[in-house]
Parts: sequence; C-alpha cells; structure tokens
Amino acid sequence: MDARAAHTCLHQPRKPTEMREEEIPTDRFFLPPSCILGAVNPSTEVCIARLYDLLGLTWRSASVGPRSQCTCCSAILSHGDIVTPETTLLTVARIWALAHEQGLDHLSTACVTSAAVHLECRETYEHEPGLAEKVDRWLQEACGRRLHIPKAIVHCSDVVYRHRNALAERLRYRLVDRRTGAPLKVVDHVGCHYGKVFPERAVGGAEDCDVLAGLVRAWGGVRVDYPERNHCCGMGFRQCMIRPNRGYTMACVLRKLESMAPYEPDLILTNCPGCNLFLDKEQHAVHELTGKWFDIPVLSYTELAALLLGWDPYAVAGIQAKTVPVEPLLDRIGIPYDKDRMYVPDPTEKAPTHEH
Amino acid sequence: MSTESLPILVLGGGVTGMQVAGVLASLGHRTVIVEQADRLGGRVRRLSRTFPFFDDVGFHDGLEFVSSLERDLLATGRVEVRLQTQLSAIEGNFPNFTAVLSDGARIAASAIVVCTGFTPYDPAGLPEYGYGKIPNVITAPELEWMLNPRGPTQGQLRRPSDGKPVKRLAIVFCVGSRNRRIGAPFCSRICCSFSTKQATTVMERDPSALVACFYMDVRTYDRGFEEMYSLAQERGAKYIRGRVSACRALPDGSITVRAENTLIGRPFSGEFDMVSLSTGMRPCHDVERLAQVLGVERAPDGFFLCSRWFRFPHDSSRDGVFIAGCATGMKPIRNCMVDGASVAARVVALIRAAST
Amino acid sequence: MPDRDRPISPGELCSLGYDALRRLSDEQVVGGYEALRDQPGPSAHGTVYPNIARLHQSPLEREKDRREVWNRAASTPVPEAQAFYEEAKRRPVTWWLQHQLVAKHAFKSCMYCGVCTARCPAAQFYEEYNPRMVVDAVLSQDEERLEGLLRSDLLWFCGQCGSCKPCCPRENNLMGLISSLRMLCQLKGWHLCSVRGRQQYFARHLWGANFWNRGCSLYFRNAAPEGHPDFGPRWARYWRAVEAQMARVGASPDQDGLFGGRKLPPETLEELRACVHHGGTLALWTAVEEAAMADAGRRGVDLDAYWTLVGSEG
Repeated sequence: MDARAAHTCLHQPRKPTEMREEEIPTDRFFLPPSCILGAVNPSTEVCIARLYDLLGLTWRSASVGPRSQCTCCSAILSHGDIVTPETTLLTVARIWALAHEQGLDHLSTACVTSAAVHLECRETYEHEPGLAEKVDRWLQEACGRRLHIPKAIVHCSDVVYRHRNALAERLRYRLVDRRTGAPLKVVDHVGCHYGKVFPERAVGGAEDCDVLAGLVRAWGGVRVDYPERNHCCGMGFRQCMIRPNRGYTMACVLRKLESMAPYEPDLILTNCPGCNLFLDKEQHAVHELTGKWFDIPVLSYTELAALLLGWDPYAVAGIQAKTVPVEPLLDRIGIPYDKDRMYVPDPTEKAPTHEH
Repeated sequence: MSTESLPILVLGGGVTGMQVAGVLASLGHRTVIVEQADRLGGRVRRLSRTFPFFDDVGFHDGLEFVSSLERDLLATGRVEVRLQTQLSAIEGNFPNFTAVLSDGARIAASAIVVCTGFTPYDPAGLPEYGYGKIPNVITAPELEWMLNPRGPTQGQLRRPSDGKPVKRLAIVFCVGSRNRRIGAPFCSRICCSFSTKQATTVMERDPSALVACFYMDVRTYDRGFEEMYSLAQERGAKYIRGRVSACRALPDGSITVRAENTLIGRPFSGEFDMVSLSTGMRPCHDVERLAQVLGVERAPDGFFLCSRWFRFPHDSSRDGVFIAGCATGMKPIRNCMVDGASVAARVVALIRAAST
Repeated sequence: MPDRDRPISPGELCSLGYDALRRLSDEQVVGGYEALRDQPGPSAHGTVYPNIARLHQSPLEREKDRREVWNRAASTPVPEAQAFYEEAKRRPVTWWLQHQLVAKHAFKSCMYCGVCTARCPAAQFYEEYNPRMVVDAVLSQDEERLEGLLRSDLLWFCGQCGSCKPCCPRENNLMGLISSLRMLCQLKGWHLCSVRGRQQYFARHLWGANFWNRGCSLYFRNAAPEGHPDFGPRWARYWRAVEAQMARVGASPDQDGLFGGRKLPPETLEELRACVHHGGTLALWTAVEEAAMADAGRRGVDLDAYWTLVGSEG
C-alpha cells in the first residue's frame, strides 16, 4: 500500500461495522451442519430444520438417498492448527459446490465458527490475487468439482432473527413469568466468532450485537446487560478439548457467571454451539471448585424457540442433555413436561423425515 | 471600486476568524465575517481555561479571551459581522468574487479566508466506550464545560447519572484518532495536551481525586506543554500506557475501564465514577458542501487541501481562497492566532499585487 | 503374534496395540478397518454401523491413518500446497511470514496500543502470556527470537476467540497470525519443546481422525462422561442411553442420515481426503507423526502410550 493511500481516510470505517437486517436472505438455504451440535446437542440442529419447515422455507442438505455428503467445514481443525488454510479453502469450496448442485446460493450454517470460516474463505479470495483460479483447479483435481462462491453466507440465528416476528405470532408461550406477568430476564451470549471476527456480517456489529437480543424482545422477554457480556465463554478449541487445558474454559465461564449473577437472569441465550455447551456444562465444575451453584439455565435460540412453540421439551428440544436443569424455567413460563419421559426414548416419537 | 477597497470575506467567526479580521483591519482592510452561530467566539468560548504559558498569566477562561478579541476587533470599525448566516455560493474569481449568503445578501469581496474550524469526533462510532449508553461516559468538550465555573455545575465535577461528586476520573486518549479501522489514521495533535491540561485542573482543585490518563503516547509537543505534563504528574495524575479497549457499566453507576498497561505488559482494569473520552478532530461538519461551494479540493485526510504547504501554507487549490486555523487540522489557540496573522499578510500581499 | 501372512479376525484386529499393528500389511490394516467400519447391524432405532464405536480413537484407527497418510503423502504428483509446506520446513520463520497464505495478510504494523491484550481472555488468566509478545517477536524479524517463541508454551495459550480482532486500530489479524505460526512450529518439530505444543499430536489424532474417518471434527462419543467429569452427573445419566436419545430427537448416531453422529459414505470420505491432500495438510501430519515417533522413542514408550501421555500432560 503506498504512502498516499495509507494517509487516505474517509472518516468512515473502512468496512461496514455491522450487517443490516435487510441483508439477511429470507429463504432458500443450504444447511451445513455443526460438529459440536451434532455431537452434544443434536436436538438443537434438528430444530433448525423444523423451524425452517414451520416457516415454509426451502432448505437442503446434500445427500445421496439417506447418506449425507456434507462434511464439516474444518473450522475446529483450522483453529486447532492441524490443517492448512488451503485444506480449509478446499473443504469449504466442496461444500459450496454441493450447495450449487442443489441450486442454492445462500448458505446458513448451523455453527457460528463455521460461518466465520466460510466468510474468511470468501475474504481470502478477495485479498489474494489468483487464489480463486488455483483453488478451482485444485478442487477439480481433488474431486471433480468447481468453485462457486455463494451470494450470501449467514448463520442460522440470522435467519431466525429475520423471521422472529413471524415466529412470535406462532408461539404458544412467551418469555414471561406466568405468575407475575413480568418479562423474564435474559442474558444474551453471542458467539465470539459470530460478532467479533467479521463484525460487518453481524446484526448490530461486534459491540451491540442484536441477533439474540432481538429474539428476546420479540418473544416477550427483557435483555439484561452486564459488564462481561462480550467476554468469551472460554471454549478455546484446543483449550476445552484437551483435558489439561480445560481450566481456562472453566475460568472464563466463572468470570461471566459472577458478572451476570447480580442482575439475576432467568436464562442465558446462545447462538454458538460451543457457548451453548460450556456455559451450561461447566456450571457443574464451577460448583465443584468454588461451591457456588449459579443455576442459570442455558438454551440456544432453536431450543428456546422449540420450547416456546410448545414442542416436546425432551423428544424435540432435548433439554434432558443439559447439566443445569431447565425444568424450573419451564415452570415459570408455564410449559408442561412429563419428567417420566425424560430419559425414556419413546418409539412412537419419531423425528420427521426430510425429503430430498 | 478598486480591489483594494473591497472587503475580504472571512468564513467563520471563531478566534481564528476574529484574528484574521483584526490583523487585516490593522493593515487597513475591511472584512465581512460570516458566522453560522448566534455569536462570535466558536469553541473557545466554553474552555474552562487556556493553556498556561510560563509567566504569562493567560486568561482565566475561554470566554475572557474571546471577549477581549471581540472588543478589540469591533473597536477597529472595519469589520461587519453577519451572525446565523452561511455561505451559499460564490461567483467570479480572485480578486473579484461575489459571495451569496444564506440570507440572500450578495457581497463583493476580493478574497475569501476559510476559518471554519473543526468538529470533535462523535464517539458513538466506537460503541465499546459506551458513549450515549452509559450516562457517566462523557467527551472532553463536555468535561471542559463542566470544569468551567460558568458551566452547568459551576465547575464542580459531578456524575451525570446522579449528581454525585466525581472522585475517580478516567481520561481516555486517542478516541477517534490513530485508528485505520474507523477511517481516521491521523493523530489529532492537541488531545494529549488538552487532556493533560484537564488532568492538571482536576488535580489542582481536588488533590485527593484519582485521575488516570490512558495514553498511547504523550504528545505534549508545544512550548510549555511538556512542563504541564510534569506538573500533572507531580499533582498526582496517573498516566497508564495503553489504549482503552472497553468501558462497562457496573450496577452502582461506576464504570470499569479496561486497558493493557503495556509498560509492564499486564491487563489493567479500574473502576471510575466518570470517564472522559478525549475526542479527536474531524473537519467542520459541512466540509463537503463548503468544498464544493468554494471550488476547492480536500486533502486525503478530509481537511481542506493546502496546495503549497511549505512556501504558502494558507493557499487552497483555488486562487483567492485561503485557509487558516483549525480548518487545516486541530491546533492550539496560539497557533490559530499565528495563522490569523500570517494569512492576513498573504492575502494583503496578493491583493496589492493584483491591483498594480 | 499376528503377522502379515495369516488372516486376522476383526475382533482380534480391534484388540491389537501399536507394536503388533505395525508389523501388519497395509491391506490387513486398512482393509480390515474398512470392513469393520462399513458393516451394518440392526438396532432399536434402525440400521447402525456398530463397529464405529470401538474403532474411533483405537490404536487400529491411528495406525490405519498413519499408513494412509504416508502413502498418500508420498504419492505423485505432489500437490502444489504440499510442496509449499514441505519447503517451509527448511526455510526461516521470516520466509513463512512473507509467503504463507494467512501470515502474509495477517499483520501490517503495530503501535503497541495494547487493546488486543486488554481484551484477550488468555492474557487475563495466564500471567506470563500477552498477545503483544507475539507481535513484538514478529516485528523484530529476528530469527532467533522467533524460534524462541515457537519453542515455548507461550504460543499455545491463545483460544482463537477473536476478541482482539474487531478493535485493532491497525486492522491486524492476530488470531490468524498465531494459528499460522503454530502450524509452522509443528512443521519444524519445535512443538516438541513445550508441554502444550506436544499436545498437538493428541489433537491430530482426535480431530484429525474424526475428520479423516467421519467427516466431522467431533464424534459424539468424544464427549463421553469418563473424559468429562466436569460436565456433572446429569450428563452421565443422559449418556447411559445416548444413541437412543440422539435417535429420538432426529439425529443419526452411527447411522446413515443428515445430522449428528452420521456415518458418511466412503465416496464422500474419499472426496474429503482428496481435499485434505490437495491442501497440503499431509505435510503437516507427517511432520507431527515423525516428531511423535522420535519423541516416543526418546522416552521409551510406544506410540499409543505417547498419544495418551501428551493428551494428559500439563
């Protein structure tokens, strides 16, 4: 960059600082699934599909008959430093090719880190001259596919945000304490890779992200702010998944819980699979280590939507997988549940099939 | 009417504009000052004090200084002041312009001197500082007015949220400057100095106060300013080297300020009653319109272009249009006074040459 | 002792450790693994592939992966990206900073303002760590200093959260720079010098194995309560019937399907492996493997024991 260009400034940020709601497409999505959700909170992910179906959206994954062709995007391996960026570019390009094959050029990923990785790939093509041609050639050599850069890359929480009012009309329950009529207090924890890595692709930007706060408002609750709202949950890729390092994750979770506790939240709402997992599960570790039981239930945006829509808390929303019991929250909202069916799989309770 | 007897149009009635008019008057020339506010004096009016300068007692506050300038100026009888007026268009060329004003008046002028000053940066563009959301986060101009005995609290430091006295003040340097990300890579030059002036003032009035200045560099470059910096520290102001990353509100209304203390390489977090953001400079708010009306270019940093910076620092890109004062970038009052005198000499020399 | 000449039953294959497996042929190891993997069986919630449960994180899977990766990495033509990363093993750190795809765009200039460190959660909790140290070393362009940084634990504290990214006034990408340097560290084998660096061997055969064999970085059985006592007793209770719970909510544990736990068909895995190969990652995986073998040898343990060891150190 030459010296004159370095001094040029527009008195405007060089990139937009946030994504406007209108930029989120409303329909026709390719849905790459999430590794963490699939492994630990599978109901969350299936609920994305259910919500899309409820809204009448066109969505597809990629499969041959019942067998999926869709791999993960390699985000965890990339941030875990065991694959090269070129491998990630190719893996992502292959997913884009699958989407293109389905006639879809909007991607909505189930994982926020995945969305950030897709966006990073797209951005790298812009910075690095000749790279797109190279990757196109490599992709052909590798698996006979071509590079097709999608028109829109969003996270599924963006889509739910876009449709939050349509969903609000269909909710059977709201984020309201049925005994007092008061709105429930919700802490919104937006995934770091949603808001911070590409603020220009986050609704509301990095600091005042609205993607979850908007849902809270639309569904009857009130969002509480607290000093460590933007602090990472501590998942940290190699920090949480390699056991000796997991103290870091616990420390981050503790810091957040201590900061939010004075505001007495009823619920922590998340959009990232990792945050959804660790803010919930590490509350047990925090209790073991400090004696403090914060007892704040954690739900993802799809788990919350499923519950408020009146779908089965166990067979659909999957809350039995949580470490912090969600049932007290359901009591407060007035959502019924049958504890006897918590761990018993009911053969008649089949998940809907998805025709492709 | 000979060129030499035409008035010179001075755009902007702040201290620079007044100085230009005053010096031109002393050289026998008439001026018309066009000022958009309802009074002369610009931003200096609200200063709680001007920079101290060795043995020069200076002025007690900005209003005193401005009044003294205005008195002397009007006493010359050679200046016409048009308040609440703006420049709409110009016709003709040097040395025979016709200026069309917003009230419809048409004024023949031989030259135009632009003294339109600057606008302080609006820190709402950096949401991590909380300006506009956290009531006790204010800007340096607001702090200045609060410190002014003529101001809203008679010079007492009080928290906007509840009026409680401020015992712990954080002053954040470089807000809106030295930041490529927001399109402002430049340094605003004076903020280190006025911030240090404010710190000295607070410590003088309340030696038990805690004042922390968060800086990246201390650019107190002008004569007497480095001494002012030493004085601030001797009075007890703390200087912490690190750019503030975030301000967070606590339940009791105080504010957590986060930075890294880069000289010892550790993160720092402190609680304060009030935070003052030392906002940098932007061009005057209608610089784009004015550049078009005047037919002059802007430099890559957004301010008016001085086309021959070394030899003729006041020449714009158009003959007969000159620029002085903070319209070329924020500077101390003393330099505005110097600018005013030097542009007057340049204008007079060119007018005389054009008349022969 | 099994050997290359006599057939081995699947059950026996699953029980063998590194020492026995390395004497077998590629066909025995790879072929045996794949036959086990693709064998279907009935269950209460439909057809499953029941052997995946015992294949994942087994010595058999690791040895099979080693064979497949070595063979593929040695095959010609060598992909352009792989040649680059092989080259990088011999070049200075400063070369990497100029040429590697992420590193070259990650970092422009620094004014040491400290915003990155102020926001960094790792800097809060690890007193010795500070992201600016990485920047300082890179700015120095001093090969000795950079090597010192890469040989230390300091490079491994970053949690890749990106908190540093939105506020840097010079628009640097510190997260990407750190990840990129970690990759170089492994290519050069310097990760062996630090406790956290050695963990990468564990990571390679955790996420890497999941990716190579199941197309996902995480396999649901990785979250088993034995490895996660911090998740509490409710998680353990849930886990007792985890496959049924997953099937109940519409996932596909060790089954054909679209969502969690799904088994991908071999054709998909082959496409993915080709992407891994053409992206040059096998240069990294062979480097990590060679380093591990050398380190295990020095410590007098076999490779399986070494894998477990580096995953629990620290």
